[in-house]
Amino acid sequence: MNGFRFLDFGTRTLVRKWIEREPKREIPWTAPHKPLAESTVALVSTAALALAEDAPFDQEGERRNPWWGDPSFRAIPRTATERDVRAYHLHLDNRYVEQDLNCALPLTRLLELERAREIGRSAPTHYSFMGYILQPDVLIERSTPEMIDRMRGEQVDTVLLAPY
Amino acid sequence: MGLVQREMERAGFTTITLSTVPELTAAVGVPRVAAIEFPTGRPFGQPGDTEGQRAVLRAALRVVETAGHAGTVVELPFEWPEPPSRVRSSPAVPSPIVTLLKRKPWLVPRLFSRNIPV
Repeated sequence: MNGFRFLDFGTRTLVRKWIEREPKREIPWTAPHKPLAESTVALVSTAALALAEDAPFDQEGERRNPWWGDPSFRAIPRTATERDVRAYHLHLDNRYVEQDLNCALPLTRLLELERAREIGRSAPTHYSFMGYILQPDVLIERSTPEMIDRMRGEQVDTVLLAPY
Repeated sequence: MGLVQREMERAGFTTITLSTVPELTAAVGVPRVAAIEFPTGRPFGQPGDTEGQRAVLRAALRVVETAGHAGTVVELPFEWPEPPSRVRSSPAVPSPIVTLLKRKPWLVPRLFSRNIPV
């Protein structure tokens, strides 16, 4: 396994520098409360996905100040498909996720696992924010607690996060 | 993303990241990582590959059941069907930061150190 294999030279260098700078942190741990087959699962994608009728992620703000990234998040209902969702990430090729949402936020696949009783259920709501955020304070202090509150309200047990 | 995962785990959820760059995700200090050697932009697989996407999703969720300690990294046994030379992940229009750094390469160290100009 080599997580650098598909990265271009510039991104590789950047990722190595960022790894070096990460401080050692104590790792939190919540043991599963119940088997997966009884758990409510929520997905989180950093592809900056939003429902077509929702406010877009702020691409203009990032164009004005390339060091800034929109720290907000969007809720995506469990039945959404690529027809309902737009991708606003400026750093990656969005064609794949526009063609098939399941490439980054596999809501339809999760419903299939629910039907097959491999998971308890897919949560009513899933989440997306934008992965390019150099200063994460607003993301961590404002957006994340809001996602957590909503997950609690929907009795989520398990969260699968997928960086874009 | 790793910092968000840490907050969610601390809040009482059992969390896992499916990561195409697991070295970085693990360095942030997250409880569970399912590592996959796929390109960025489509961590669950190719558009239209229903079977493949479901297998990746299922494998990532299984790690939640099997991981026994904080900092678990499990390498998933999936292989991307194309060599890196055939894979395109960057957008047609370069991102604003890439455009800026091409014009002002002396700012690159500031991105490396996240020492952001104000």
